[in-house]
Amino acid sequence: MEWIVPKLISEILKWVLLVWLAVVIVAAFLYVQPAKSFIGESSRIVFFHVPMAWVAVLAFLVSCVTSVMYLRRRNPKDDIRASVSAGLGLLFAVLATTTGAVFAKIMWGAYWNWDPRQTSITILLLIYAAYLALRGAIDDPERRASLAAVYAILAFVTVPFLVFVVPRIYWSLHPDTIINTRGANEFDSRYTQVLMASLVGFTGLYVWLYTIGCRIETIRQRRRQEVL
Amino acid sequence: MSDLMGIAVVTLMIWVGLFGYMYRLDRKVSRLED
Repeated sequence: MEWIVPKLISEILKWVLLVWLAVVIVAAFLYVQPAKSFIGESSRIVFFHVPMAWVAVLAFLVSCVTSVMYLRRRNPKDDIRASVSAGLGLLFAVLATTTGAVFAKIMWGAYWNWDPRQTSITILLLIYAAYLALRGAIDDPERRASLAAVYAILAFVTVPFLVFVVPRIYWSLHPDTIINTRGANEFDSRYTQVLMASLVGFTGLYVWLYTIGCRIETIRQRRRQEVL
Repeated sequence: MSDLMGIAVVTLMIWVGLFGYMYRLDRKVSRLED
């Protein structure tokens, strides 16, 4: 996290994150009552599934913004930021899809139903997997960075459409989002507290993973240049 | 121990393990940067 905050503060924040997410886990299972409209204890998966989906969208946004910055400034660090964030976005999108499939099995009887949300997240996963494939296919660093930046911007254009628009246009098995179609939050207050705490915790986890990823990639590039 | 408590404990163990791995990785990266 030294990329963002000084060393001592980043050290404290890491331990705060450990305790924060530990409390979220305990609260998710022991503090909150299961939601009435869900089968059994399945509603508890929401405390992990929603933050994972949120972090995926955030990571794709960061990848898009840093790609724009790369095209403007041509700073290799922006390319590193974009690629690391896209990779993390893909990881969290896979985790959100997996937890969603477990939820689907309990609620709807099958892991995969080709529900609009499941279909749109699959398309999104393929789009960002292609981004990583594109990066892997080009040897020249500058050409790779430029093409990947343009692709990341175009890829992000599809995110609001696939994540927010498509699932609302078509009829879906998926439960309402936190703020539902009537514009209200109808969750129990404890439920909302834990969900918000989880969103904050997962965002912190993303920031930490992102900074570690950027630092590793910087070292890797520096070593590659030393070899050449 | 109830099922719910068991799942909470396993999830906590996964989180602490992941944190430990990331913390060590973070330290290693810091050493490589110096």
